[in-house]
Amino acid sequence: MSNIFPKSANKLPLQIVIYLCVLAGVVTAGATYYMTPSYTRVGYAPVQPVPYSHALHVGQLGLDCRYCHSNIEKSGYANLPTSQTCMNCHNQVKKDSPLLEIVRHSYETGEPVPWVKVHVVPDFVYFNHAIHVNRGVSCVECHGKINEMDVVTHAQSLSMGFCLDCHRNPAGRVREPADIYNLDSKPIAQTAGFAAAHKFLSDRNIKPPQTCTACHR
Amino acid sequence: MKRKISHPAPSERELSGPKYWRSLEELADTPGFKAQLEREFPEGASELNGVDRRHFLKIMAASFALGGLGLAGCRRPEKYVLPYGKSIEGVIQGLPLYFATAMPLRKSAIPLLAETHQGRPTKLEGNPSYSPHGGGSTLLAQASVLDLYDPERATDHTHNGRKLNVADVNELLAKIGADHLAAGGAGLAFLAEESSSPTRTRLVAQLKAKFPRAIWAEYEPVTDEPPIGAARAAFGQNVKPIYRFANAKRVVSLDADFLRPDSGGLYFAREYAKGRRVTSKADAEKMSRLYVAESSFTLTGSMADHRLRLASSHMLALAAALAAKVTGSGRFSTLAAGLDVNPKWIDECAADLIANRGACVVVAGAHLPEQVHLIAYAINAFLGNIGSTVDFVRVAASDATSIHGLATAIGGGSVDTLVILGGNPAYNAPVDLDWKTLQKSVANVVRFGYYLDETSAISSAGVQLAAAHYLESWGDARTLDGTIVPVQPMILPLFGGLTELEVLARIIGVKPDPYALVYETITAMTGGDPEKAFRQFLHDGLLAGSAYPVVNVSYNDAQTAGQLADAPKFESLSKSNLEVRFITDYKMDDGRFANNGWLQECPDPITKISWENAILISPRLARELDIYPHGAVLQVARIEADAITGKENAHVLELTVNGRKVRGPVHIQPGLSNYTVVLALGYGRTKSGHIGTNAGFDAYALRTSASPAFVTGGTINVTDERVLLANSQAHWSMEGRDLVREANTDEYIENPTFVREVGMESETPSTIGEVGEAMTPAQRATLIPRGNSIYETPNVHTGGFNGVHQWGMSIDLNTCIGCNACVIACQAENNIPIVGRDQAIRGREMHWIRLDRYYSDGNIDGAAFGGEGNRSLPEDPQVSLQPVACMQCELAPCETVCPVNATAHDEEGLNAMAYNRCIGTRYCANNCPYKVRRFNYFDWNDRQLDSLYLGPLGPHGMPELVKMVKNPEVTIRMRGVMEKCTYCVQRIENGKIQHKVKVAQEGHPGDIVVPDGTIHTACQQACPVEAIVFGNILDPNSAVSKAKALGQDYSLLAYLNTRPRTTYLARLRNPNPRMPDYAAQPFSRAEHTRKNHPAGFHEEQPAGEIEGKKEGRG
Repeated sequence: MSNIFPKSANKLPLQIVIYLCVLAGVVTAGATYYMTPSYTRVGYAPVQPVPYSHALHVGQLGLDCRYCHSNIEKSGYANLPTSQTCMNCHNQVKKDSPLLEIVRHSYETGEPVPWVKVHVVPDFVYFNHAIHVNRGVSCVECHGKINEMDVVTHAQSLSMGFCLDCHRNPAGRVREPADIYNLDSKPIAQTAGFAAAHKFLSDRNIKPPQTCTACHR
Repeated sequence: MKRKISHPAPSERELSGPKYWRSLEELADTPGFKAQLEREFPEGASELNGVDRRHFLKIMAASFALGGLGLAGCRRPEKYVLPYGKSIEGVIQGLPLYFATAMPLRKSAIPLLAETHQGRPTKLEGNPSYSPHGGGSTLLAQASVLDLYDPERATDHTHNGRKLNVADVNELLAKIGADHLAAGGAGLAFLAEESSSPTRTRLVAQLKAKFPRAIWAEYEPVTDEPPIGAARAAFGQNVKPIYRFANAKRVVSLDADFLRPDSGGLYFAREYAKGRRVTSKADAEKMSRLYVAESSFTLTGSMADHRLRLASSHMLALAAALAAKVTGSGRFSTLAAGLDVNPKWIDECAADLIANRGACVVVAGAHLPEQVHLIAYAINAFLGNIGSTVDFVRVAASDATSIHGLATAIGGGSVDTLVILGGNPAYNAPVDLDWKTLQKSVANVVRFGYYLDETSAISSAGVQLAAAHYLESWGDARTLDGTIVPVQPMILPLFGGLTELEVLARIIGVKPDPYALVYETITAMTGGDPEKAFRQFLHDGLLAGSAYPVVNVSYNDAQTAGQLADAPKFESLSKSNLEVRFITDYKMDDGRFANNGWLQECPDPITKISWENAILISPRLARELDIYPHGAVLQVARIEADAITGKENAHVLELTVNGRKVRGPVHIQPGLSNYTVVLALGYGRTKSGHIGTNAGFDAYALRTSASPAFVTGGTINVTDERVLLANSQAHWSMEGRDLVREANTDEYIENPTFVREVGMESETPSTIGEVGEAMTPAQRATLIPRGNSIYETPNVHTGGFNGVHQWGMSIDLNTCIGCNACVIACQAENNIPIVGRDQAIRGREMHWIRLDRYYSDGNIDGAAFGGEGNRSLPEDPQVSLQPVACMQCELAPCETVCPVNATAHDEEGLNAMAYNRCIGTRYCANNCPYKVRRFNYFDWNDRQLDSLYLGPLGPHGMPELVKMVKNPEVTIRMRGVMEKCTYCVQRIENGKIQHKVKVAQEGHPGDIVVPDGTIHTACQQACPVEAIVFGNILDPNSAVSKAKALGQDYSLLAYLNTRPRTTYLARLRNPNPRMPDYAAQPFSRAEHTRKNHPAGFHEEQPAGEIEGKKEGRG
């Protein structure tokens, strides 16, 4: 029998194996880069029904986070303000603005303003805001510089790895209680050094849980 | 790459022949034309705004492909946040709100706190402000929240099938009143359920005043309270007894299931537990003793120190014999004639009562005839118990007509309008009344009910009004001792249902606002500022000082003599003259909860059968009927046994009583009186939604007005048919193992650490080694001593067990009454699904905590030693109960075998379960020695239970209404993941978080250890007797540490070196050495001794002298 395959076919199995390995590598790298939260979530800045600007209200006017997100110190869920909270000022300030028509309608009828949720974690993750803001973690650590955002943008990946990075090493990220809602402030590690940060942690017995029950139930 | 195609050179003829051209340019053969030919497409076509066409397509294709991989093209769907328009006072999103309410049931109520999430109630707890219950709740109260979200509840008001709107309904009800006003109510009749509501009582009084000739009838198929006629005869007053079991050293129960929490017994169970709880030798010496005489096997019977099996119809004779012995009077002896009981039993029991006069009590079952109660009162009066162990409180006499009176009136044609308020008389009325025909004969029927049930079906042409659930209603009620409690709505009626108060008010013509009606009732009773008083009432969940007044009573011998002479005659029983006993089912009650999936699936506490009832017969009767199973059928699935692959394969019997017949599967129940057949009421519904319909058989078909509780004259006919029963625990024997460790109190007093001499670990070196034995419990919990193991244990140095709390639990088997409240509380709190009868038969029920029930009769001569080895069903067993949930083992065997590390340990000792990581290997359940892990074989939530095997082709989707009962704090598990008890991790985490937030805001943020008693697991909170204790074992002063420090504390299967965090306190029994059925050791212990020390076992040797090495504990 004459040779069915040319001699160059001898290299084929090796080529296939190398090709598959390279393919697996590329797919893995591609998935790791493109399909993990740090790519898919960071930068998400959906269009909201009302063009509310944090940069204006917080950065320029100086509203405290808690004026609107009033329950973060008590509850795990960081609430959005009711339309009544908006109308506290906007029944006088820009009270005829067409951009605020949805808010006024909501206040009159009770129909909610359909805000698009920016920061979403999966249903099997139970994150609690109150414990974090009361124990030295400022809003800016996870949500970024909201006070400079005209449109709320997803700043950090909020993946499990992101949470664990801080839970394993909180020293660099904690702030004094007075600085929690000051998004321009710096962590203790930067203002007073790591020794002071570690003292902050030990004074408050801050040992963030690193096991499953911290967030998964 | 283009292939070079070599065309043959043009021939001479082509070159010289006519040349064809398509344009002048070609003919001219200009250079421009040549250039144009070379380009494939015309000028400009291949470039778009400077982008080359090919380049453009490449980019588009690439980004299209990449987009398909999940980038910009596959962004997660948008989610919305919808805040309120106007802010609501007091609502903090994410935190539940608690309101006080109560669950009314017949003549009493259970005060509750309802936990509401986003305006809907998801969980009910007992109200701790009501101290007689101390925050405990019952099985039915825990399950009642599911009824609110039943998709098959009545949702519309209809008249002759046509829907009515609110205005129509109001008009209709007002018209009823208006039409009958002139005749003073003649022709108008009401049939209502019993209620303790003071507001309803007030309204009924108004009704009677306005319509004096109207008939107000009340009917309940089952009764919780003794017949008031007995008290009237005995004491001349309308009083009822309230037992103070905490003061009673000796309790005799005559067919009285007083520990059953739902029939007002929550208080009794709690008080009784106080007399049984042992924390020291002194407690053991003061422990109470319970004598029970009963025909069926109840939970009270399972707690008995001495149990006598006796037919209910013979209870009168027993009471008379006991009274004769106690009082020495001759007037009772005639009634005792014919009794076939060992006289010594009665003699010694009486002697024990006399020796404890003033500190003993005799309780007669509510269903027994008046004469039994008269005798019981006589005994109590004679022994001076009244005022110490039993108080009599004055209650209002009920002047309602009975259903018989109403039936007579209807039969006589004097009723033209019948308003049926709740209840289900077409299903549960005495069968001799033929209620269905009666109801059909009434011209106008208004049926006010929660479901479209049998009663609604008969009068479908009449008016059907949808009722509101008690969680949607304003109302009030009274507890067992008379304290008035509010019924507060948690949510507006979901389907526009009406409350009973409103219906009555509209008919009467008073202001139909239930809130205002209750407000009037309550503020009329309180002094001071009515607004403030009512707010206090709603806040506390009770009206302080409103209990029934305790009155002094004295027994009237002369009056009762006449009643006693009227007693029913003694009848002896046999296979052809069986006694049929009707019992209120533990789960279905009288049938009202038939469509409640949680209750249907909850196994009966003693028979362990779910989803139906069975005809219960004694082993003796089974032998006589020749259906006795061969090969210890109900113990293990041996080849010759009466089981099919482990499933109970029951004969179907026909039971005939006085010409009426029922047909149902038989379950041979150890411990029944020989010729008593027990039927549970509440099953066999024909119109009850897809869960309740055709579950079990209808025992009401045999029940007549003359014999509502038991009847004689039954015969059984065995058919050839067989059915499988969903029995969740067919294996009834411990087989001599030390699962439940028991001892008599005298052994405990002599040797408080007797548990160390029981079990495998008493024969082996300690699993924690000498180093571990020397440690304190707190150290053991954090350092996890290695003992003699070849494996390293996780400890603080390797990064585990370094939390500031270490959680542990202790379950006291001495006080656990087996009520199953913990099972349903866990199901409600943790979103545990039901699986349906078919899957329950396969053993796939999902309860995270199960109640194991073992029978033992002391006879276990191991087959290896020539004995029978447990091959017969015990006729007169002792019952041992044990709640088993995930033990949260420190060295968990489930953690090491998970291939994906979905189950891991946390720093505080919990074995955590990450559902999102689980891939459903089920190796963890395989490895768990306690078998407490549950697997989601199907998507129980999303799929219909009757079409599970259709898989993706079956209908899916959970009704919105049913979703509302789910607790948002706990993940809902999908098909394919494993789940198990988590020590209510959501409550632990929320408790820790709230405490840390509190101390941070108070200025001392370092005190993060949660104080003992802040965090309660769901099972602990529901338990009426506080048998479950949970807390931080690092704190030596916590309740759980103290419980674990007791001598009788032991771990289940400790020799496996799993180091469970849940430990048990051994069961103690307090038998009377002079009684004829005295056993030196509890039967389960005797079995253990006989099996493990067969050579050393002697009948006469008391416990403690059995040979056995004491080598430390596990």
